[in-house]
Amino acid sequence: MTAIDGLESIFPEDRLLRDDAYRAAFESDGLTAFRTKPLAIVIPETADEVIAAVRWCNEHSVPFVARGSGTSLSGGSLPVAGGIVIALNRLNRILSLDPHHRIAVVEPGVVNQHVTNAAAPYGLYYAPDPSSQSVCTIGGNVAFNSGGAHCLKYGMTSNHVIGCKAVLATGEVVSMGGPSVEAVGPDFTALFCGSEGLFGIALEITLRLLPKPEMFHTVLVGYRSLQAAGEAVSAVIDSGLLPGALEIMDALSIEAAEAAVACGYPPGAAAVLIVELEGPRERIEYEREQLERVLAGTDFFAQRIAVDEVDRLSIWKGRKSAFSAVGRLSPDFLVQDGVVPRKRLGEALVRIEQLARDAGIRVANVFHAGDGNLHPLIMFDGKQEGALHRAEELAAKLLRLCIEMGGSITGEHGVGMEKRDFLPEMFDAPSMAMMDRIRRAMDPKLIANPGKMFPGKEAPALGFSGIHPLEKAGVISRE
Amino acid sequence: MSEGEIVPNHLTELRRVLADTQRVLPVGNGTKQPLCQTTDSTRVSLRSLRGIIEYEPSEFTFTAWAGTTLLEIVEALRDKRQYLPFDPMLVEAGATIGGTIASGLSGPGRFRYGGVRDFIIGVKLLAGDGDLVQGGGKVVKNAAGFDIPKFLVGSLGRYALMVEVSFKVFPQPPSMCTLRFDCDNHEQAIQRIAMVACSGWEADAIDYRASERIIYVRLAGPDGAIDRISTEIRTKFSGGELLTSDQAHSFWHSVTELNWSGFDRPLIVKVPTIGKRFLAICPAMQDRPGVSSHLSVAGGVCWIALDSEAHIGWLDGLLKSQLLAGLVVRGQSDRFQIGQWTTNQMQLAVKRAMDPQAKFAGV
Repeated sequence: MTAIDGLESIFPEDRLLRDDAYRAAFESDGLTAFRTKPLAIVIPETADEVIAAVRWCNEHSVPFVARGSGTSLSGGSLPVAGGIVIALNRLNRILSLDPHHRIAVVEPGVVNQHVTNAAAPYGLYYAPDPSSQSVCTIGGNVAFNSGGAHCLKYGMTSNHVIGCKAVLATGEVVSMGGPSVEAVGPDFTALFCGSEGLFGIALEITLRLLPKPEMFHTVLVGYRSLQAAGEAVSAVIDSGLLPGALEIMDALSIEAAEAAVACGYPPGAAAVLIVELEGPRERIEYEREQLERVLAGTDFFAQRIAVDEVDRLSIWKGRKSAFSAVGRLSPDFLVQDGVVPRKRLGEALVRIEQLARDAGIRVANVFHAGDGNLHPLIMFDGKQEGALHRAEELAAKLLRLCIEMGGSITGEHGVGMEKRDFLPEMFDAPSMAMMDRIRRAMDPKLIANPGKMFPGKEAPALGFSGIHPLEKAGVISRE
Repeated sequence: MSEGEIVPNHLTELRRVLADTQRVLPVGNGTKQPLCQTTDSTRVSLRSLRGIIEYEPSEFTFTAWAGTTLLEIVEALRDKRQYLPFDPMLVEAGATIGGTIASGLSGPGRFRYGGVRDFIIGVKLLAGDGDLVQGGGKVVKNAAGFDIPKFLVGSLGRYALMVEVSFKVFPQPPSMCTLRFDCDNHEQAIQRIAMVACSGWEADAIDYRASERIIYVRLAGPDGAIDRISTEIRTKFSGGELLTSDQAHSFWHSVTELNWSGFDRPLIVKVPTIGKRFLAICPAMQDRPGVSSHLSVAGGVCWIALDSEAHIGWLDGLLKSQLLAGLVVRGQSDRFQIGQWTTNQMQLAVKRAMDPQAKFAGV
């Protein structure tokens, strides 16, 4: 008997992949620092096949990792040695879209952007917009409670998932929530969102759709210092405005974006701030005046207001390309994803600068300033002996800084493999124990995505060989 | 509500009570009486663990003891021109923030930005063994660990004892106005609700008083902007009336305080729904004297008022026939779960995981 006996009866040969080439293709995800070859990959086409695969895993105590497009930046869909990967890309049907009730029911392999595309004819859209939305899947978004640039106003994935049918690691099929935005009883849907694949696999996900904003007002503002940009964020927030997005990029990330996409950001800026208002035309006309007054009181030296949608997208292009653009400044880099209280952003940036200087490592900063979500980009050359290790040491210090400041080790990428050792630094022993008990309630055999979120002994191969191929090709970018 | 209730004054005392009591049903100020009923548990009220612990207007967050009244929170936020956009329920009745989470009640404002579940960001709770457990955090964006705070929304005190909760808040809109539209029938009302909800007007709330066949649309924003949007909506529907601020306040207040029915001491049942399901139960409700319904959150929840407990069995059957679940939240009733509630292995397993000592009432 081989380790995967029985799977052949569930999957035909062309959807049960065992040879080295396929196993190598699935050995990593968006966090390319880690790689592990799975035992096999199965490619279900129906929910029943997913259920059968999970039940087979449960029966044979074989670990499994559900995978969508593999864009996780925390190593969330990294395979487990001796386990199988359940690739969900063919479960990519939008099962229903009900514009009347503003809901869509989708399979886990549906690409995020495709939901918005399908809803667009009805004037609706799906709000969560991770930067990889053109390829990342809703199943992965649910597993990692993905964010995006518009979280301050609209929240994260879990705020837009109102129901879910899933197969738990035990093989039990459960339904949570439903078509209504309201519910009675504890919110199992919310518990499932962000569980990082540790409970099981979502089969059908009910999403809340929102009316597409009638109008956007996007402003790019250049500052001579990061501190001045940070103060502008506070001024906007204190004015009572609720922008859809409030983003800051520092000089290094501007330099990279400029080189990559010639985004035309103000030359000489030490920081740029992107503020985007959105809503009905009548309201935006008032709010843009308010924003103008607020920004006039800040120490900016350049300002550009998007005159049309093309101009707006060109402003966003610089921001959205910033991470992959950093690849032009450095052969390798680590993306961090910490959160600090918004009022401590300036202090955090000074501390990051100091830690980077002490380590002799360059760090570019891009952040969702509106919600204190930092994305320091730690640059290194993986070919240099010990460089990755030193970069990781700096990353660890940055995460500890976030914890010390009362923030979080992840705003939107999840804990995954990357940060699993830091979760116990954020949560004390009783809190970790409670989460561990919940996990075991869903997955007593610990076969669902083991080695993620919780500190563990499973150690995948560690290496680094540049940015993700899709990212290099400009298909995906990191938030 | 004080009979048979223990009211600890601080965390240490609460822990001692938890240790000394066989089975506990946490309650707040008892504003949702049916949810405070118990035959096998001791009611432990958190109402003395009250007060705002931290409030950072520039962070859009606050942390409060679970027994803090909504009124205290709403007033503190209002002072800084901020608010909880989901229109907290039963503020004047004395509801606490902990009870609001446990019962999972959100008002009409839930429509625009989400409900209690969308604004809670962190919780400290006492597990049955007395351990203090943290879930979530105090920052507005956080994806670390399981989302225990959101899970507890609607959990009815069956899993743990919340002692401290953190919320995200939003800046208060400068102004609000309310329009109302008469409808010919419920079908037309549901159509119109969908039309407004799907539009780019960004209505702040859309409710429907079924017994009167009137839709109420609330707009929020700068005065000049909402004036223009309200004109546009009235043009679209060829009619409609702008309420005075007193009328508007009175209407929305009657929803959030659940006293719109005019019945003397009614039972109020929360039924999550959507427009077409509401239409399925509507005829039976309108034909029955002593029953009044109010559709809130653009069809997302139907509040049903009953003038006596005698209707409960009937409503139970009606909801079951449409696979709807109901939660009895106000009035004198021994039952709080009616209609289609299901229990599966997952729910039982999570209950055992979070409450291994079975210290809290069963699910």
